[in-house]
Amino acid sequence: MKTILKFAAPALYFLFIFNPISHANQSLTIKDDLGNTHVLGDPPQRIISLAPNVTEILFALGLENRIIGVTRFCNHPPEAQTKNRIGGMVDPDLEKIIALHPDLIIAFRGNPLRLVQRIKSLDLPVFVLESGTTLESVLSLIQRIGRVTRKEKTAKNLTDHLNRRFNKIKERLNNVRTRPKVFINLHGKGLWTSGKNSFMNDMVREARGRNIAGEVTRAWFSYNREELIHKNPDLILVLAKTEKDFLEVKTWFSQEAHLESIHAVQNDKFSFLDEDLVTRPGPRIFEAFAQLARILHPSCFKDEK
Amino acid sequence: MPQKKRIRLLSLLFLLLFAGLYISLVKGSVKTSFVDLWNFLVHSDQTHAQIFIHLRLSRAILAFLVGASLSLSGAILQGYFQNPMAGPFVVGVSSGASFGAVLALILGLNISFWGFSLQNVFAFGSGFAIVSLVYILSQRRGVFKMETLLLTGIAAGALASSLTSFLIFFKSESFEQAVFWLLGSFQLADWNHIRVIFPIFILCFLMSQRLAKDMNLLVMGDEIAQSLGCSVNRTRKIFLVVSTLLASSSVSVSGIIGFVGLIIPHWVRLLIGPDHRYLFISSSIMGGVFLMFCDFLARTIFSGSELPIGIITAAVGAPFFIYLLNQRR
Repeated sequence: MKTILKFAAPALYFLFIFNPISHANQSLTIKDDLGNTHVLGDPPQRIISLAPNVTEILFALGLENRIIGVTRFCNHPPEAQTKNRIGGMVDPDLEKIIALHPDLIIAFRGNPLRLVQRIKSLDLPVFVLESGTTLESVLSLIQRIGRVTRKEKTAKNLTDHLNRRFNKIKERLNNVRTRPKVFINLHGKGLWTSGKNSFMNDMVREARGRNIAGEVTRAWFSYNREELIHKNPDLILVLAKTEKDFLEVKTWFSQEAHLESIHAVQNDKFSFLDEDLVTRPGPRIFEAFAQLARILHPSCFKDEK
Repeated sequence: MPQKKRIRLLSLLFLLLFAGLYISLVKGSVKTSFVDLWNFLVHSDQTHAQIFIHLRLSRAILAFLVGASLSLSGAILQGYFQNPMAGPFVVGVSSGASFGAVLALILGLNISFWGFSLQNVFAFGSGFAIVSLVYILSQRRGVFKMETLLLTGIAAGALASSLTSFLIFFKSESFEQAVFWLLGSFQLADWNHIRVIFPIFILCFLMSQRLAKDMNLLVMGDEIAQSLGCSVNRTRKIFLVVSTLLASSSVSVSGIIGFVGLIIPHWVRLLIGPDHRYLFISSSIMGGVFLMFCDFLARTIFSGSELPIGIITAAVGAPFFIYLLNQRR
């Protein structure tokens, strides 16, 4: 394969120089985040997604008819649930993947490296993406998926739209003076929170808040109770799947006697964000950002309605 | 009489081996039948080649080799320590090897030559360190104390496991790695793993088969063995290296899989008696067949997701072990 590329590269180069049409095409290869070169040929027709956010991006790019397999966690948009299930993110069923004859598999950082390498060793066309840790990086993620699926134009329109929306909200926050202290709490795992290396942290920062766990250089970890009391957050942001789970967390915080001194508990400042919305780096993360901005600085959005 | 028993057991095991290979090949999440397999053998196509050869066959063979290695390692350790409770997990080799493998992984030592990686070297090194430590600590004035051996083994194993968990907790973002190293899995088995473990297994198997007679003498006590012409020190050293090599190479390809190395050699001894010339080979084959069937269950019992194999071996192995212990009393 490599030798073919070696010979093909100069040939392609000459084609570029002497053929004005292919100039517009730019290069014909793209590197994935493991550094593997992927040749861009005809648009892939049989795509398997190995992560929920990838599935959401593929749907947003209008590729619903080309997706042939998704994970059991891919629940959005609802039509995703009608696709073939190929297992989970860490335990996809390799037999099923082979039997579906995919011409493109898009893997994500949530998929273990060993697994991705195993898929590669079976000669399956897999494209691997790192997630990044900022909202901006989601835009380039969408563009790269657009590129590898040959939907460059749709991807450009989508990211332009998302970027405009993102900037509009940021403009509204320009005059904000106070930055409320926020404690992010993922439902169901004790004081599970997100630190510096996470989308949540960047989202809180962009929405003009301060993540009290923001100096810890980990993505997700369990927070210390004493530290929580000491940092004294103004708002507790609960990430949960349902309203019921949210209320459960809220009740827990309000009933723990030793957490009484926390501002957020005293003033009953709890907010609910959909866990799927904020933990999946896809188009909907900007929807989550809009919600968060409204929660942190409602006065900036008064004139909206 | 025992000769007859041994032959009967071996032929039964070979029968089960072929049955196991057959169902491992034919059954899976993608529906295939004997006809598909036959058609594939007559004129192969790429999809079926990948499913039958690269997924199912490689996996079944790897499970067999790991099972065989673990129970041979257990059979050697049980003879070596003259204790039916010994096994690669009990004396701490498995946990030690797992620590070494995880350490190499985290230090980013992915260098390998001829399919033999630095990870294997680390696994062997720390497995061997643990078993030597246990050996030295449980020896008092040249005499073995069996209680001390088991307790030291358990303590050293727990220490190694906690260090492994510590490394995984600090360095890995995903829970998946912890499950792999602490409960074992063949999900990502491929021919490269077989290339690593196959030569080691064959070498160790031939070595232990050659020294099986000496093991029979060792069981009678070191002094008697020495007086009967067995060079005790040399034999002991070789056996210790061989059993560690077997256990650590298994761990470095499939994580820790408990119980196989304990119950299989124990059961085989109950069936055909303590002669190591037959015990070694029968334990190897039985362990391999057992793990092949366990892995088959692990990947087919729930459709759509896979169980870590350690759950199956413990669920099948533990009750059976209790039954065996009760029988003997």
